[in-house]
Amino acid sequence: MNAELLAVALLAGAANWAFRALPVIARADRLAAGGWLERFLSATGPAAIATLFVAAILPALSADVVRLLPVITGTLAVLGSFYRSRSVALATLAGALAHGATVWALG
Amino acid sequence: MTDPPEPIRPPDLAQVGRDDRSRRPFPAGLAASLPIVMGYLPIAFSFGVAATRSGFSGIEAFALSLIVYAGASQFLALVLLASGAPVLVTAFTLIAMNLRHVLYGPTLMRQAGAAAATRHAWAWAWGLTDEVFGQALGELARGRRFSEPYMFGLGLGAYASWLAGTAAGALAGGGALEAWPAVSAGLGFMLPALFLALLLSMLGRRQVPVIAVAGAVTVAGTLALSAAGGILLGMLAGAVAGMVRR
Repeated sequence: MNAELLAVALLAGAANWAFRALPVIARADRLAAGGWLERFLSATGPAAIATLFVAAILPALSADVVRLLPVITGTLAVLGSFYRSRSVALATLAGALAHGATVWALG
Repeated sequence: MTDPPEPIRPPDLAQVGRDDRSRRPFPAGLAASLPIVMGYLPIAFSFGVAATRSGFSGIEAFALSLIVYAGASQFLALVLLASGAPVLVTAFTLIAMNLRHVLYGPTLMRQAGAAAATRHAWAWAWGLTDEVFGQALGELARGRRFSEPYMFGLGLGAYASWLAGTAAGALAGGGALEAWPAVSAGLGFMLPALFLALLLSMLGRRQVPVIAVAGAVTVAGTLALSAAGGILLGMLAGAVAGMVRR
């Protein structure tokens, strides 16, 4: 195995574990109780999901209508399915299905 | 004196009763990972293909997924390593890209409540990727109870699919999904669809400014800096907006 790749993987992997696990183990949220940090953390959830959605959809946006149409139908399918079912899983699958079907229909 | 913190959304009692009583936590977590699994498989597959095309072996591609387990930074690692970038520069670039994960644990545990167990967090929190965090937070926002077995199920499903997709991509090489463009496109839309559905599940009038600021800053940051920079700035700006708007 490539030693440089292994070294990068171990360093990045150790940092990832520390970023993900240590704040949970230390219950960093308790340090924030009642203060500005608690309001910050409270808003981080919706902010994070909104950010990740924008980051995920941004590369798919295009001025070309044919390339944009599957994104529109997929997005509408998620909205419609969630409105009807209130299920995240169903809405996700409906969006992917509509997106794929539109790509197929457009050839 | 500050106002009491606002929960993301009041629990849907009908959903709480239906789900918590009828399903065990670990299988419920595994089941909840399905949309993530469907989204991860093609991305991990692409990573396996890209790694072998960059001259790395299948085992090296698998090792990156096993040890790093962070999609975008793994692709970046391929580019940097293949271009001969120094090990420390590559590693610190990858580390900086994933700095946002620091916020996920406290945000999740704040929503889980003070009594939530974290005895096995050293293991399940490894799986706290963007998508797993989003799915877990969405479940809590809909009034479901936090449990470590649920987190294990959710994280294990996602992690296993990431590893399986990487292995399949490294073995298959390029072109496996090229014959099925509609399937490839549909699978590629799975993660944006998941994030949108999660956003809808926690949407409330008081979250609108947070979401608007986060979205706008992400776009600006991505255009001005990079995708990773846009994500970090968007997340921080949205959280700050939530902090100062009261």
